[in-house]
Amino acid sequence: MKTDVAVIGTGLSALAAARTIQQSGRQVVLVWPGLSSLYFLFATVDVIGYPTATSTEPVADPAEAVARLITREPTHPYARAGIDAVHASTRLMLEWFKEAGLAWEGALNRNFLLPTATGTPKPCCLAPASMTAGDLSRPEPIVLCGFTGYRDFAPELAASNLERQWGAAAVSAVRVTAPGYGPDRLFTSVDLARSFEDATFRDAVAAELRERVGDGVRIGVPGVLGLTRPNETFAAFQRAVGHPIFEIPTVPPSVIAPRLFDRLRKHLQEAGIEIIWAAPGHAAEVTDGRCRSILLKAAGHELPVEAAAYVVALEDWVDGAFRAGVHTVRDPFFHQPIAWNKVPTDRTAESLFSTQPFEQVGYALTDRLQPADENGKPLARNVFCAGGAMAGYDPTGTKSRGGMAIATGYRAAQEALAA
Amino acid sequence: MITEEFEPTTDTVEEEASVEACTKCTACNTVCPVARSTDIFRGPKALGPDMERFRSPQEAAVTPGLDLCSGCKLCEVTCPSQVSIQEYIRRAQNQGAREKGRSLRDWVLGRTRLLGKLGSMTAPLANFGNRNPLFRVLMERFVGIHRRRPLPKYQWLTFERWFKRHPRPVNSRRKVAYFYGCWVNYNDRRLGERAVAILERNGIEVVVPHQQCCGIPAVVNSNMDLARRYGRQNVRHLTPLAEEMDIVASSTSCGLMLKHDYGHLLDIPGSERLGAKTYDIMEYLWMLHEAGELDTDFQTVPMRLLYHAPCHLKSHGIGYPAMRLLRLIPGVHLEEVDEGCCGISGTFGVKVEKYDLSMKIGSRLFEAVKAAGSDYVLADCETCRMQVEHGAGATSAHPLEILAKAYGHG
Repeated sequence: MKTDVAVIGTGLSALAAARTIQQSGRQVVLVWPGLSSLYFLFATVDVIGYPTATSTEPVADPAEAVARLITREPTHPYARAGIDAVHASTRLMLEWFKEAGLAWEGALNRNFLLPTATGTPKPCCLAPASMTAGDLSRPEPIVLCGFTGYRDFAPELAASNLERQWGAAAVSAVRVTAPGYGPDRLFTSVDLARSFEDATFRDAVAAELRERVGDGVRIGVPGVLGLTRPNETFAAFQRAVGHPIFEIPTVPPSVIAPRLFDRLRKHLQEAGIEIIWAAPGHAAEVTDGRCRSILLKAAGHELPVEAAAYVVALEDWVDGAFRAGVHTVRDPFFHQPIAWNKVPTDRTAESLFSTQPFEQVGYALTDRLQPADENGKPLARNVFCAGGAMAGYDPTGTKSRGGMAIATGYRAAQEALAA
Repeated sequence: MITEEFEPTTDTVEEEASVEACTKCTACNTVCPVARSTDIFRGPKALGPDMERFRSPQEAAVTPGLDLCSGCKLCEVTCPSQVSIQEYIRRAQNQGAREKGRSLRDWVLGRTRLLGKLGSMTAPLANFGNRNPLFRVLMERFVGIHRRRPLPKYQWLTFERWFKRHPRPVNSRRKVAYFYGCWVNYNDRRLGERAVAILERNGIEVVVPHQQCCGIPAVVNSNMDLARRYGRQNVRHLTPLAEEMDIVASSTSCGLMLKHDYGHLLDIPGSERLGAKTYDIMEYLWMLHEAGELDTDFQTVPMRLLYHAPCHLKSHGIGYPAMRLLRLIPGVHLEEVDEGCCGISGTFGVKVEKYDLSMKIGSRLFEAVKAAGSDYVLADCETCRMQVEHGAGATSAHPLEILAKAYGHG
């Protein structure tokens, strides 16, 4: 099939790229080999939480911190995207969230400090409005609320960690019963989220919670307030409890991610963007330095997608990007061995929590974000790379998950439009 | 520790993801329409890759709740690691049925062609029975078909017999073989007539080869052995034709069986050649269009249409060719109703114990369809159409019907 620009990927970088291209009036097709980790991990757009991977002092002004990072590390994905793309992509997403009916808050000149499910303060730049009352810079005491039998959020653990790590206001824990969910039942965030859309269930939980907490507190609950109608569910629950409520993202399956993802996906489809599901990349046909088509592995046969330009916005390991053999890592389009160390044990660090070398794997790039060969020449002039498939893309240490994705997605889309 | 000296001679990068590729990310559980609608289902992750580690071909580890998987394959569509989640569930289901035996109902539902033969032979009687409340109560009681589920109407004149009397076109640029499937043959001959008319209008001679049920009803009724038998017959009948011409299917799920599941799920030898030449009919027509060979001399069709993409269409990996085609027709106002699985999943929503669940899964879709108010809800899959008509009281059609209208057929 033919289109102006094909965007390959399902994560935030792909979505930001698709939106950018769609707004320019060109035709976009989204190629989805499988969902990215956005779908189950993601909750907020973190532009930069810590100035370096090892620092412990959270960033107060993300725009300024990114500018400094760019000066310090000229090959960092933020540097490749450029500071203008960081600003433009943040504006793009905030406008988009609003247009799509998603209640989100945030700005590039400040970070929220929001509690995680284990009680760690985490700096993030853009967040759903249902989470921001948890900002730890606010003075009100916090009550963390769990549900009896629900294993994916332990309020006692989160409260003790928060008190120890943060300590400014009183944090306590409470567990209430979720009607119909006993300790003998195995259930997840998805089940609870569905139940919270039911008014009877919601009011019963709210009634018990109201009795168990004192005045003047804000209440943190796991992010299960609604699956398909989160805005209404959150508002109704907060009203019924009578205290400020904030959601805390849970371990996968986190419901907060599907809410965002499903809405943005639908919004793109409403705008006439077609999605090709379940079609991993297979090969790129390159002649005279230009990619003429990419071949997708559809059921039974190959599906060629011909476009004037391509944005490869895959993650590095999930969603059908790279495949690792014992000594080489290969990409699905150019079948180039990704230049990288040959010893398998060098791919991982001893400590689970340190920066993992395999996260750095990705396409070497030109200044225009084109995947490059070992001499720095583009493999194809009209292919541009964003997100996790870029070499050196590791958002974990600096807490830049989401921010790096939208900035590079936006920049790659701009390059694709200019190609 | 592996050092530089350790150099194996080959460096294989596996093309197909194995069960080990599952990272336990739970994306499948989050999208699974059944898991989203009930908490008695433990989700595709637990029943597929998790349990698969405890299964061996010699020894069955049959997990309760396997029958709640409706077979929509959305888990596979969304899996970030491209794990064949559904196939593990299907194999285990089949193993369980082999050990415990199948119910009469599942035995019957797996044999759509037999049902179709009986139904069309006794068409007026069968249709009367299928609409008779007393008969339906008895059917629910003794067979396990839910009394409120409307059953498809059978027609006396099958597509096969209609086609035998259909005159061949005089001039044609090429030939294509039509896999019409049980639905067109026994329940909706009109759709087949439309398919033939549209292809002939574009200078293509339609060949209707001898064919068996594609096998998907047998697969979802835990009878992979029967499905494999059907599949082998189809591979035998169709592969020689596939050397000379393309094969088109007008049912999403039949097409997916031919393209993909014969090889991947049923391990039928030689099926890859057939799969490589099989196209969904809308996919095929779009290819004609891109090659500049589709007659786009359309009449205006002033209609408000909603398109529901069947789950199995997503598994084809071809996008939504029906939407692209219909947007070429002047007057058509087309929107996608993007509310996920309709819930019927072939014979799943027909069963007495699954009917309510099936309606619950589809409830979001029904609401959206009712709210949108359109002339037709379009879907490429016949059971999706049945479900939308039943759940939302809407009129539904295959996208081909609209294309036929644009060509001046009714």
